[in-house]
Amino acid sequence: MRILFVEDDARTADYVNQGFAQAGHVADVIRDGRDALVHGMNERFDVMVIDRMLPGLDGLSLVKALRASGNTTPVLFLTAVGGVDDRVDGLEAGGDDYLVKPFAFSELMARLNALARRPPARTEKIKLQVADLEIDLLRHSCRRGSVVIDLLPREFALLNYLMQNESRVLTRTMMLAQVWDFHFDPQTSVVETHISRLRSKIDKPFDRPLIHTIRNTGYSLHA
Amino acid sequence: MLRALYRSTPFRLVTLLSMAFLAFLGLAGFIAFGLIRAELDARLEQQLEQTFSIIGQSYGENDLSDLVDLVRSNAAANPALQRVFLLRSATGQILAGNITAGPGSTGWSVASADALGLAADKEMYRIYSGPVGNTTLLVGASLAETEAVGAIVLSSLGLAGVLFCVFVIIAGILIAARAQRRMDRIADTMAMIGRGELAARIPVHHNRDDLDDLSLQINQALERLGGLVESMRQVSVDIAHDLKTPLNRLSFTVQNAIEREETGQSVATLLQQAQDEARQINATFEALLRIAQIEAGARRSRFKAVAVAEILENLFEAYAEVAEENGQVLTIAVEPLPETGGDKDLLTQLFANLIENAIRHCSAGTTIAITAGRQGDQAFAVSVSDNGSGIPDAEWDKVFQRLYRLDKSRSTPGHGLGLSLVTAIAELHGATIALSDNSPGLCVRVIFPHARAIPNLHDQRVASNALHVEPKRKLHE
Repeated sequence: MRILFVEDDARTADYVNQGFAQAGHVADVIRDGRDALVHGMNERFDVMVIDRMLPGLDGLSLVKALRASGNTTPVLFLTAVGGVDDRVDGLEAGGDDYLVKPFAFSELMARLNALARRPPARTEKIKLQVADLEIDLLRHSCRRGSVVIDLLPREFALLNYLMQNESRVLTRTMMLAQVWDFHFDPQTSVVETHISRLRSKIDKPFDRPLIHTIRNTGYSLHA
Repeated sequence: MLRALYRSTPFRLVTLLSMAFLAFLGLAGFIAFGLIRAELDARLEQQLEQTFSIIGQSYGENDLSDLVDLVRSNAAANPALQRVFLLRSATGQILAGNITAGPGSTGWSVASADALGLAADKEMYRIYSGPVGNTTLLVGASLAETEAVGAIVLSSLGLAGVLFCVFVIIAGILIAARAQRRMDRIADTMAMIGRGELAARIPVHHNRDDLDDLSLQINQALERLGGLVESMRQVSVDIAHDLKTPLNRLSFTVQNAIEREETGQSVATLLQQAQDEARQINATFEALLRIAQIEAGARRSRFKAVAVAEILENLFEAYAEVAEENGQVLTIAVEPLPETGGDKDLLTQLFANLIENAIRHCSAGTTIAITAGRQGDQAFAVSVSDNGSGIPDAEWDKVFQRLYRLDKSRSTPGHGLGLSLVTAIAELHGATIALSDNSPGLCVRVIFPHARAIPNLHDQRVASNALHVEPKRKLHE
């Protein structure tokens, strides 16, 4: 994956860039907003990671300018802590996701994978299948092998999200935002509890588990 | 000094008022002077007419001697020439009188002393002449008296004006100086506040005048400001104190890891501990910044119509199983609620914090109830109550303080900012929070006002329609 990484803090940039390299990705690290605009317009990237606060040209203006020039590369914003309105501002400017600093590298990577591999034009599938697990989005039904599984609406939404992102790592905060529309960090184990309920229905009665815990990061569904 | 006086508001007002008064005094004097002159002139003419007719009656048919005698005696009685008389024959020969010339015409006229053949005097005379038999009789009176009366009127008015001016200037200076002293005290107090002496207050005289009202209001504002500064200072101290503990722990953990590393032992657990600690510190900071941002109120510009009942149902779905896992029961009873203007994300966080507080601080077997109902026409209240051990009444106020944690909850995770965040979000929405004893347990009620009482809601809706703001895009679609 080719990544444009715009970050003015040298230590953060080095740390993240090392992580990218270890994961087998190539990142162009740019320190200045104006340079990033030139780079972003002239070269093709799979995904762009852009800090909100930049010298030269701030992150929001940078993305607005890129979008105005017809660039559709997915953008993830990095924001400082406590930015209550940052998420909405970022989305309105044309960003696709945001992450609050300081962040865990695994969280950033999970989000970039989800962004970069997003199909360009989403085809609405009616049925999703992973191994012998199948869900019908129209009838809200779930089946594993020949066994029909009864799911509560929220369990269905959670499973749907996991299956749409088969084999990708989904973090707790990604799930909270997508499934529950929660944009804060809960002090109780909301995600863990629901995952455990879901497991008891779709994994426990069968010999091969599909939901996998990724330590310190989140969960992934794959065969 | 003069410049300061001129710049003083009371002095300017007094000067303006006295100038207006002087203008009116002048106008009134002018009118009075005119009226008095007219009256005096009328009287003089009446007297002249009387004199003329008395003298005229002494004329007998072809007998001038009585007439001439009477004119002579009248003239002799007026050596100072206040009154003048002249009797002339039809040929113009002077028969009697105390003047030597006079206007040839008959009727009323005004003549100078010069024209009457008197010494070069500036005096003016009012003259009446008419035929008596075949002679012409002229009687006149000096106008000096009338003019003297006029002069007296004018000069007395002028004197009054001058005295008034002097009085006004002195009064103006005194009033201005008095007001200036009080304003100087206000300015001095503000200067002290500016230097950071927040305890300074403006002395108030309790005269209940406008300056006192102003001073009282400034004092009250200073009181609130002082309170805010003090609470900010307290918060800073609390933050410093509360962050020192985890920072210390972090430092120890890292120190420990370094030592173990030197002896070749595994440090994975310690690093994990250090990371958790750093994460907790970060969460505390983020919560503090969020509170500060919410309190700044900028987010109100993003208010939209929000269905609180929907938020509560959503939260119930999310937390019912979390409570169950904890051995607790979460229930919900929500009446249909009116839509309110607000921020959906923040309101979700508000109620989530209340529910999570109950889940985290209550023991197994507790029932936690989410209820919501209308309060009157448009207002409504949401409450999260439990039948757990509750908190002592004395702690009710304190739990909303930043970083405050009950002693018994020191051991459970959390940064003590949950309820501060709740308060900040509630205040942003114009809602109030009330704690009450659920006997047993605690009941937290969030009371939302009438939707129209929330500022800007309507305007914002109009504005966002006008801008065609796109609906929020979902993440990770």
